[in-house]
Amino acid sequence: MSTLGFALEGAWKVLAAGLILGAGLPVLFALGIRALAWGAGGAAEVSHARPQPIGKVVAYALFAIVVLGVLLGITFIVASGFGKTISFDHLYPVIVDK
Amino acid sequence: MTETSVILALVVVTALGFDFTNGFHDTANAMATSIATRALRPRTAVALSGILNLLGAFLSVEVALTVSNAVVRIQNPDGTPKESLTADGGQALLLIVLAGLIGGIVWNLLTWLFGLPSSSSHALFGGLVGATIAGLGWAGVNWNGNGSKLDGVVGKVILPALLSPVIAGVVAAAGTWLIYKVTVGVAQRFTENGFRWGQIGSASLVSLAHGTNDAQKTMGVITLALIAAGDWTDTKNIPFWVKASCALAIALGTYLGGWRIIRTLGKGLVEIAPPQGMAAESSSAAVILASSHLGFALSTTHVATGSILGSGVGKPGAKVRWRVAGRMVAAWLITLPAAAVVGAVMWYLGDFVGGLAGASVIFALLLVLAAVMWLRSRVKPVDQSNVNDEWDTAPAVEDERVPAGTAAS
Repeated sequence: MSTLGFALEGAWKVLAAGLILGAGLPVLFALGIRALAWGAGGAAEVSHARPQPIGKVVAYALFAIVVLGVLLGITFIVASGFGKTISFDHLYPVIVDK
Repeated sequence: MTETSVILALVVVTALGFDFTNGFHDTANAMATSIATRALRPRTAVALSGILNLLGAFLSVEVALTVSNAVVRIQNPDGTPKESLTADGGQALLLIVLAGLIGGIVWNLLTWLFGLPSSSSHALFGGLVGATIAGLGWAGVNWNGNGSKLDGVVGKVILPALLSPVIAGVVAAAGTWLIYKVTVGVAQRFTENGFRWGQIGSASLVSLAHGTNDAQKTMGVITLALIAAGDWTDTKNIPFWVKASCALAIALGTYLGGWRIIRTLGKGLVEIAPPQGMAAESSSAAVILASSHLGFALSTTHVATGSILGSGVGKPGAKVRWRVAGRMVAAWLITLPAAAVVGAVMWYLGDFVGGLAGASVIFALLLVLAAVMWLRSRVKPVDQSNVNDEWDTAPAVEDERVPAGTAAS
């Protein structure tokens, strides 16, 4: 395979991972903000609707997913510093030797 | 003290100097958006980034000894220097490394003076390529690897530089666009406060990743020089003082803050709101981490710039200053050759004078050039007090376009 081929192969994988983690997690975070505003009601929303307590629960569940994603990122940085990497072979991430 | 050990000391000092410029040149990549949206006060932002860079540099236990192998052939695959370059006590290799580092520093300082975010790794690689061409001829450069994987100047430097801003831009644009869709109906102040937190988190991740990646390169270069001079033999470990001094140099550089570049990235390209800032930094963090996971070498600078541009494209009605972006792209294109020219000139000069005197002459020249550029920067200083000033009132050339821009928005 040519160098350009290798580069494009690497590029689309980075793009896919980037879209899932780099755009997906912020969108979950945005949904969390949306749910939080729905839960707070009043001045938090343009419509000044009544507060919906369930919104807060949904919001914190969404924020928790985002935090897990960030922890995965930190784990990866630390692991690669020690010559390890994270394997996604078993659905859930596992720290393995590089 | 022998002549070689004095040259070695010059190489170490120069390498730490490069690491320092690498720090302040790249503060903007992580913190420009947080400073521009006032999620963090400027001093707090650079302090946070500096601490995370320090932490990141200490976290990198793995040895990046073969860093120069990506672009030049001065090392064996196991990281030891080529025997032909150490025959005279290592001076041949030390001169190439010294000239290459000087090329990288000079280019980093010049682009900083113009407030242009250019890649520090490209500057380092460019300097090394130039010094190697001068010292060993064109065959000393690893242009394309052996064809079995992504390698060489083309595969590790040029192609990723073309692809990475586009990838990061697409990710950030998609993220920004979706975020604005999702948060329709939420009061603006409520949204902005929430996203400031997200932004600080994602920017911190970028800083940490930067510390682990970039400080390692200088550690590798210094260790290579030590091996060449016969002061170190272990290719599996690096001396602790090298790690500690590199970590400190990059963290101090980051803390100093390259305000001129922060200003360009934070205010020059796009007027950034907190949701865009978070989308941009998340995109940068994800793209940097994913690419280092997949062994696809990217420059943090190109990724960060692509992300910020993308966040401008993705927000409906946002204005992107493409003229500023164009200047940046031009700087990226000439980074490698320009640093290479400086590296080559330095090598010829050092070789012409010869020995310790040659190394001292080019080191002195570096100090003079650095001083000149620093003095030049004092004419129109940019620091934490004016980093967030309105962009369009600053340069005279852009002034004519203001009426049209304000009328449209």
